[in-house]
Amino acid sequence: MKKILEDLREIDAGMVCAALAERRCYASDASQVEGLADYVVRPESTQQVSRILRLCSEENIPVTARGSGTGLSGGASPICGGIVLDLSGMNRIIEIDSENLQVIVEPGVIHEKLNMALKPFGFFFPPDPGSSAMCTIGGMIANNSSGMRSVKYGTTRSYVLDLEVVLADGRVIHTGSKVLKSVAGYDLTRLFVGSEGTLGIITRAGLRVAPLPLARKLVLASFEETETAGRAVIMVFSSGITPSACEILDRTTLKVLKLCDPNLALPDDGDLILFEVDGTDSSTAESALQIQELLGPLAKSVRIASGQKEMEAIWAARRLVGAAISRLDPNRTRIYIGEDVGVPIKEIPSLIKRVQQITTKLDLPAMKYGHIGDGNLHVALFIDVMNSDQWGKLELAADRIHRAALELSGTVSSEHGIGLARAQYMPLQVGEDALNVMRSIKKALDPKNILNPGKMGL
Amino acid sequence: MKMNLDRMDKRSINRCVRCGSCRTFCPAFQESGWESANTRGRIIVIKSLAEGSLEADSRVLDSLNTCTTCGICTDNCPAGVNPPELVECARRELVARGIMTASQKDLSRTIFQSGNTFGDRGDRLAWLRDRSRLSEKADYVYFVGCMNSYRYPETAARSWELLRRFGVSLLPSEQCCGSPLFRTGFDAGKLVDENTRQMQQMGIKGIITGCAGCYATLKKRYSSRFSVLSIPEFLSEHISELGLEGKALDITVTYHDPCHLGRHNGIYEQPRRVIEAICSLKEMKANRDAARCCGGGGGVRAGYRDLSLKMARKRLLDVPEGVDFIVTSCPLCIRNLRDAGACEKVIDLVDLVAMALAQKTR
Repeated sequence: MKKILEDLREIDAGMVCAALAERRCYASDASQVEGLADYVVRPESTQQVSRILRLCSEENIPVTARGSGTGLSGGASPICGGIVLDLSGMNRIIEIDSENLQVIVEPGVIHEKLNMALKPFGFFFPPDPGSSAMCTIGGMIANNSSGMRSVKYGTTRSYVLDLEVVLADGRVIHTGSKVLKSVAGYDLTRLFVGSEGTLGIITRAGLRVAPLPLARKLVLASFEETETAGRAVIMVFSSGITPSACEILDRTTLKVLKLCDPNLALPDDGDLILFEVDGTDSSTAESALQIQELLGPLAKSVRIASGQKEMEAIWAARRLVGAAISRLDPNRTRIYIGEDVGVPIKEIPSLIKRVQQITTKLDLPAMKYGHIGDGNLHVALFIDVMNSDQWGKLELAADRIHRAALELSGTVSSEHGIGLARAQYMPLQVGEDALNVMRSIKKALDPKNILNPGKMGL
Repeated sequence: MKMNLDRMDKRSINRCVRCGSCRTFCPAFQESGWESANTRGRIIVIKSLAEGSLEADSRVLDSLNTCTTCGICTDNCPAGVNPPELVECARRELVARGIMTASQKDLSRTIFQSGNTFGDRGDRLAWLRDRSRLSEKADYVYFVGCMNSYRYPETAARSWELLRRFGVSLLPSEQCCGSPLFRTGFDAGKLVDENTRQMQQMGIKGIITGCAGCYATLKKRYSSRFSVLSIPEFLSEHISELGLEGKALDITVTYHDPCHLGRHNGIYEQPRRVIEAICSLKEMKANRDAARCCGGGGGVRAGYRDLSLKMARKRLLDVPEGVDFIVTSCPLCIRNLRDAGACEKVIDLVDLVAMALAQKTR
């Protein structure tokens, strides 16, 4: 091991640390998956990453890439030891090429900072995870992240034009180009997006950006029954409106939101749906009014947010609600497990009902919120972590939730990734044959299985 | 070695969901880039120490001791964790076992031996021209603090000039309030006892101080029988009596919120009221509860000078264009921001008040 440390220093791998305290800090992301690396390495250039991978390939050392470590599936946890490659220091925005509707970035750029840099040019990078303030673009690409506005704008995958990738043996390739459309061979770009660091290390990305909408409006509609809320969403889509966000928040979530910001004027019970529309001043005003009129007969209450300030306050609280649940009961902690299931949107009310049955039966409190517009439900289970019985119940609940989603023709992960936390469901999710195709691809690109080994059920 | 944590602290550790929100705010992490220098990392380190799965080596000490206890993580933690409290608790546990950095050891030895943070054997009241009229009994005392006593005697003298006309007195033999010791894990009970004894002997009701660190300590660690006022609070209550209105100075200043006055104690508006009575105020880019730390607190200036100054330089980037002075109400912030390159542009609120009063009498 000492030799590896010397080798890393000799090849100028960047900053290297072997201290146990540091390795512990890099043992997990926000999931419950843990693994202890032998070294934490912080490269600053593609050349350094390439030299590191060449060394790791020669010495059979596992390499786990990491951005900000905000993932929720253990994708960045070094479960086989080896090296954790912290890419958050490679954080330069190389070029904002607004005339070509794109930007070139290093993987450590923070999502929110990218959007702040794009704003003066009148553009934005639309996928918007709740962790926007701290997650990296590299992590978003590796997990094909999305968020509240995916219902209109799609996921990260839709915006990646080109990737610079360091392969397992240290070679550096580009997967695309600066053109907005290209059909030259297999779509390697899309292959690497969502591959969770198992096929290569992303060191640079060319991203398409979208024009920043001139206006946004928010409609808050509250419903007695979840089924009615589900019907309301379908009605809005059927009326020809594609909301830029369409979020469901159950009554527990509403309580937490009010604890986060007591000034929020939100209803006390029922399920709330937030419909956001974007566009021009007149188009958003028209669409918001149309939604309000459309849902009037169905909803318990429906109103348009008073203005920009209220809208921003609601979204700010909504973004952090996942971690804020401890505010409801200081003796309970949110555990990210079974938190990212997705179903066809029509099945959302059934999924919510099933989740309610599962958690009630196990006597586990749960907060349910999510992107109802694309069928993605976040279930926040929170337990007393000092009570071992509750851990058992938690795992049981998560397993049942995953299986319920699959039974409803859904997915165990809509946007957080598989990592290790959901790896066991991969055969059920994609089938053995498809999984074997994935394994063949993995083997072709990483024959020694050094890149994030043990993940994604591969 | 297993570090002892009480149930409350364990609960507090467990509230952290490792979401990483703190990466956006922790000023030490933003300079260091290592997860162990981030709030989330520190909580992992403390948890590992409590579980007995980590020995307190130098990396552990660096992790815990690079926290300035600025509290910006507390204000922005979605899960409601109070990391500075945990960090201070961990430092105490380690110090109790004799585990500390050389800087912690030096600091504690210096303070315990000399009663001040500098080991200065000189007269603590050297700045006071005439001590013959000091009352032995008073309702209020001006608690000068080590920094103003020994490093900024002019500010101490100016503060005294403002306060004495309200019948405020001084402790006959003020000792360090204990703040640097409490922040870095030591028991400063002896200093608290000695200062308290003098306060009781003088029959005081309250204490007024011009140091954010002293203020937070006097408020939290001393008897609640004494009311504690910061100089900005005192000044804002006496704007008319002191004749401060009328914008005597045709200048524009900005205000740096010291963490231990602002985020820790909610004193945001009082200094601004005083400034706006005197001259124009242009806010820093990050201000009030979003203000970035100067990098000097929590023992970081003493133990990690380079890191501390990097944080201060980052804070100076928040200073708006076209201001004549950066005003603040904490001598530690003044010192760190000055050393980071702002030099004499950084002044105490009291210095600004003195300038305004001098202008009026001209």
